[in-house]
Amino acid sequence: MTALCFVFVMLMAVAITVLRVSPFKPLRLVGDLYVQIFRNIPGVSLLVIIVYALPNLNLVLPYRTCVIVTVILVASAFGSENFMSGINTIGVGQIEAARSLGLSFGQILRKIVIPQALRTTVLPMTNLLIAVMLSTSLGSQVPLTPPELTGVVSYINTRSTGGILAFGIAAAGYALTAVAIAFVGNRLDRKVRIKR
Amino acid sequence: MTQPIIELKHVDKHYGDLHVLKDVNLAVDKGEVVVVIGPSGSGKSTLCRTINRLETIDSGEILIDGEPLPEEGKELAAMRAELGMVFQSFNLFAHMSILDNVTLGPIDVLGVPKAEAEKRAMDLLGRVGVAEQAHKVPAQLSGGQQQRVAIARSLAMHPKAMLFDEPTSALDPEMINEVLDVMVDLASQGMTMIVVTHEMNFARRVANRVVFMADGAIVEEGTPDEFFDHPKSARARDFLDSIKGH
Repeated sequence: MTALCFVFVMLMAVAITVLRVSPFKPLRLVGDLYVQIFRNIPGVSLLVIIVYALPNLNLVLPYRTCVIVTVILVASAFGSENFMSGINTIGVGQIEAARSLGLSFGQILRKIVIPQALRTTVLPMTNLLIAVMLSTSLGSQVPLTPPELTGVVSYINTRSTGGILAFGIAAAGYALTAVAIAFVGNRLDRKVRIKR
Repeated sequence: MTQPIIELKHVDKHYGDLHVLKDVNLAVDKGEVVVVIGPSGSGKSTLCRTINRLETIDSGEILIDGEPLPEEGKELAAMRAELGMVFQSFNLFAHMSILDNVTLGPIDVLGVPKAEAEKRAMDLLGRVGVAEQAHKVPAQLSGGQQQRVAIARSLAMHPKAMLFDEPTSALDPEMINEVLDVMVDLASQGMTMIVVTHEMNFARRVANRVVFMADGAIVEEGTPDEFFDHPKSARARDFLDSIKGH
């Protein structure tokens, strides 16, 4: 679920960021609005909205999809912020140079802006991946089959004593996964970092 | 009379209350080297940047080969592709090799096949003396080398004219000449050039015409000998006095 979410998070984040740097003001506003909305709603609240409010609009999603959509919406807003800060490090000079060569807006994005933004945001995106992994624990709030880790642990806790042990094991699982992601992220960052 | 390659007619521009270009008129013929000098804040960089519309103008007209500068869009991109631009801060693409910096324009804008673009890029890099660095990234090169790459990058587009916006101002003194030498070469091969610079020796040696700007206006223009030996305006005399004696 984490991997699936993160793929969509990155795609959405790129799309939103393209809106936010586009030459058309309405598109920029849409992008900014998206980020402001989804960055500022707690994941649980958003999940509740999607699970309980959308059916009123005749939109009933499976629970699993609800969790995935929630995580994607929230994380892509943060991801877009990461990209924006990556873009801000590129410097207007390179963009001007690209315009002087006659490159179009789309070409400048594809060849100059996105490749550099991706490389400078490896570390923040690693953080985001860890956050995405951790926020899949939102799944504990809705019935899932197969169940989500935090949900399982809560279930064990309500059924038997010794809950601390179960939570401890789950926490260790999350932490180990996070450490592994951070390790890979650091290695990747060192490999693709742009020398300045 | 032949048509000028670049012509500015009654160009005005404001930044808020600041009048940065005041009724600027300038015509540059094919093969001509025009050096724009003047104190900082005189609008000379802005002038250079308006010519490929990195800065917009408030009123007046800019003609390239007799055609008015297009609005933002495809036509403007096509026109920019025909004008080379060299910046004070080099502005090489930091994530690409030197070779890719030079081939990007030809491949993506002009549609030149990759092998051909690379061959020509290597020729150009050889001409500016950095062929051995082709597979490094910009940060591994000295400022002088980076600026020479930037010149090669512009030349790769077969420009009708080249704009230089203070190309040596960000360089350490020992690297200035290696860049100027490349520019002297270009001028001697008949490239049309507008050069904004503080390098008076370069202006004297290479310019066909010197344009002196102050406070957003062209105060006087003439051949290097006229301008440096017999400046007409008090403003130009003051400026020349202030840079002498160093």
